[in-house]
Amino acid sequence: MMRNRNILRLCSAVLAAVSLAGAPAFARDTVKIAFIGPLTGGNSATGLGGRNSASLAVDLHNANPASKYTYELVPFDDECKPNVGVQVATKAASDKSIIAGITHYCSAVAIATVDTYNRFGLPVVVWGAVLPEITYGNDYPEIHRVNGTMINEGKMAAEFLTKQGFKTFVVIHDTTDYGKGQNKYFAENLKPQGGDILATFAVPPDQQDFTAELTKVKELKPDVVFIGGLTPLGVRVRSQMDRLGIPAQLAGVSGIMSAGFLDGAGAAAEGTISFHNGAPLTRYAGGKAFMDAYAKAGYREDPDAYGPFAFSAANLIMDAIDKVGPDRKKVRAQLNGTKGYQALVGEINFDDHRQNIVSANVYVAQDGKWVYWPDSAYAAGAKKLPGK
Amino acid sequence: METAQLTGTRPAEVVRTQGLHRLLVAAIVALLFAGGGFLLHSEAQGEVIALLAAFVAIFVFAERLSAGRRAIALCRAHPGTVNLAAAVSVLAIAAVLREEHYTLLMMATVALFATAAAGLTLQMAFAGVPNFAGAGFFAIGAYVPAVLGGTGIPHLVVLLIAGCAAALLGLAILLPVLRTRGHYAALVTIAFGLLLRSFLEVNDVLGGPQGMKVPAFSLFGLSFARITEIGPYDVSFYLPYALAGCALFALAFFVVRRLETSFVGLAFDAVRSDEVAASVFGLSIARWKATAFLIGNAMIGVAGALYGMMNGFVNPNSANFGDSLIMLSILVLGGFGNLWGAVVASVVILVIPEKLQAIQEYRLVIFALLVIAILRFRPSGLMPRATRDLSALAMGGQR
Repeated sequence: MMRNRNILRLCSAVLAAVSLAGAPAFARDTVKIAFIGPLTGGNSATGLGGRNSASLAVDLHNANPASKYTYELVPFDDECKPNVGVQVATKAASDKSIIAGITHYCSAVAIATVDTYNRFGLPVVVWGAVLPEITYGNDYPEIHRVNGTMINEGKMAAEFLTKQGFKTFVVIHDTTDYGKGQNKYFAENLKPQGGDILATFAVPPDQQDFTAELTKVKELKPDVVFIGGLTPLGVRVRSQMDRLGIPAQLAGVSGIMSAGFLDGAGAAAEGTISFHNGAPLTRYAGGKAFMDAYAKAGYREDPDAYGPFAFSAANLIMDAIDKVGPDRKKVRAQLNGTKGYQALVGEINFDDHRQNIVSANVYVAQDGKWVYWPDSAYAAGAKKLPGK
Repeated sequence: METAQLTGTRPAEVVRTQGLHRLLVAAIVALLFAGGGFLLHSEAQGEVIALLAAFVAIFVFAERLSAGRRAIALCRAHPGTVNLAAAVSVLAIAAVLREEHYTLLMMATVALFATAAAGLTLQMAFAGVPNFAGAGFFAIGAYVPAVLGGTGIPHLVVLLIAGCAAALLGLAILLPVLRTRGHYAALVTIAFGLLLRSFLEVNDVLGGPQGMKVPAFSLFGLSFARITEIGPYDVSFYLPYALAGCALFALAFFVVRRLETSFVGLAFDAVRSDEVAASVFGLSIARWKATAFLIGNAMIGVAGALYGMMNGFVNPNSANFGDSLIMLSILVLGGFGNLWGAVVASVVILVIPEKLQAIQEYRLVIFALLVIAILRFRPSGLMPRATRDLSALAMGGQR
C-alpha cells in the first residue's frame, strides 16, 4: 500500500515537473507544433536526437525577439510501430491547437500515417524517413520532406563508384523494404552509368554466415561488393570477405555508416565507402553554432545523423508560421512553395511532390573514422582504395 | 393468518428489492464506464492521474470493504443488468464524444483488442491451448480485406472470410499443437508467428515488407471513411468504427459467455484442468482443443480485419511477437477467463501509455511499473474469473 502510494506520488511529481518546464515566458501568443518520432525502443537514439534538435530549434527561435509567436513543441512517441504511429498522428492532427508537425524517422510509420495527415489537413515535414513513396507515392499537399530519399543515395553511389573506375558489382541486400529499395535504386542508376551487376543476393537481415554467397562472389571476381542493409550485415560481410580472401572494394548505403561498423569490422573497415544524404556538420555554414548550442543546452543524447534535419524542419515550419500566422491551410501553402530556404542542412528546395532536392555525400572509412570523401587521404591520392 | 400475510407480502418485497438491486448495479456500471470514458477523453495530466488513482483505489478497496464485496456479489448476481447498463453506457459515451476523433479511435482500438482477447480467452483460459501468435492471426485478418476489399464483395462477408482465413491458417499448426503440451505447444505457436511474418515479408503479392493499404469498411455501400454527419450532428468518421468495434465485442462476449455456461464450457474446463480425467470421462481432448483453437482464431481474425480497415494499413511488422505478448498481457492483467477484465486491461495496456505521452521516453517505464504493481497486488489479474459454482446442482435443487 505504502509503496503503491509512493509510486503514484513519484509519477505526479515527474509529470508536474514536465508540465512546468513547458510554460511560456513571453506574452506572445503560443503556437503548438508536434514532433513525432521513436522515443523508446531500438531506434530511440535517433528519435531522441531528433527530438532534442527540434526542441533546441524551438528554444532558439523563442529566444529571438523577432519571433512573432511563442512556440511550444509537443513531442509524441511512435515507437517505430505503424499502428501506434497512426494513433499519435490522429491525436496530433485532430488537436486544432497544433498547427504543423515534424514527423517520423521510421519509413514504415511515415508511409502508414500520410493518409491521416491528409485527411485532417495537418501540414507535416518528414525529418528522417527515407522511403521514396512517402512523398512520391501520393500527391498529398500536406506531406513535405527535408531529408533525401534512397533515390539520391542510390544515384550518388552509382555515379561515384563508376567514376572511380569500378566496372563490375555484386549486390548483397537484406529483404526488408530498406534493403530492397536500396538495391532497386542502385541497380536502376547503375545501368546508364555503364556498370555491370554480376549477381544479386537477397539475404535475411539477421543471417550470420555468408560463406555460400561469398564463395560465389570469389568466383565472379567483382570490383565492388555493394551492401544494401544495416550495420550488422555490413560488419559480417566485411569480416567474412577478409577470411575468404576477396580483394573487392566494399561500398554500402547509409545503413552501414555508423561507429558500430568501424568497431565491428576493425582494421578491415579501412577504405569502405558509404553514402549519406547529410554532409558533416562542420561543412554546414551554421554547423558549429548548432553544435555549440546543442552542447550548451545540455542534452544527454547526441543529435545523431538526422538531428540537423529535425532542427531544419522545425525552423522551416516556425518561419512559415511567423510569416502567414497560425493557420494550417496558409502554413501548408507557404511550405509548399519553399524555394531557396536557408537551413542548417543547406538550401531547401521542394520539388512538385514537396520533396527536398538534396544530393547524397560520399564518406570513406579512414583510420577508424568516417571521413567526408573530399577531405580524405584517398581523394587526395595519399591512400589507395583496396579494390584498385 | 400471519403466514398468509407474510407469503402475500413477500413476492412484492422481493420484486422491489430486486428492482432496487438492479438499479444499484446499473448505477455502479454506469459510473465505472463514465470514469473510463472520461479517462479515454481527458488530456489534462491532473485529471488522468486523479482518475487512475480512483481506479486503483476501487480495485484495492473493492474486496477489503464489506460494501465493496456486497457490490461485487450484487453485480455477479445480475449479469443481464450489468451487460445492458454497459451497452447503454457505451452508446451514451459514443454519443457525447461523437466529434472526438482520437478518443473514438482509442475506443474502437480497445473494443477490437478486447474482441481478440475474447478469442484468446476461449483458447487459453478455457481450453488451455496456448497461443503466442495472437498478433499473427490478427494480421491475417487485416490482410484479407487488403486483398479482397476492392473486389466488390460486401465487407460484412469479407469480415467473415477474414475469420475463416485465420481459422484455416490456424489449421496448419493444429496437429502439432494437439500433439504437444504446455511449453512445447507454446513454442509451436511462437514458431508459427515467426514463420508467418517471414512469409509476409518475402511475399511480393502481399506487398512485401512494406505491407498493403486496406480500404475503409463500408456497410451496405456506405463507406465509414466518408461518414461526417449523422442527421443534424457532425460526427467523426471514427464513430462508426467505435460502434462497430463495440458491436463486435458484444457479439464475441455473447458467444463466449454462451459457450462458457453450456456443456461446451464445462468440457473446455475439464480438458484444461486434467486431460487424463477428462478422457476417462469420455471427452475427446483433441476435439475440444481444436474447437477452442479454431473458434478463437476466427474471432481474432475478424477483429483484426476491422482494425486493419480502420487504420487503412497493414504490414508484416504488425504480426510481430511483441504484439502477441501485448495481447497475452491483456489476458493476464485482466484476469484469465473474465471478459470484463479483458476490457479493463485493454484500457490499461493500450490507453495509459498514450496518456503518458507527456513524459515522453520515460512513459514506458512508468507504464511497466504500473503493470508490475497491479500483478504484485492482484496476482490473478484485475478481475479474476469467478469459480464455477455447481453446489446447487450437487444438492439436487435448481440454481
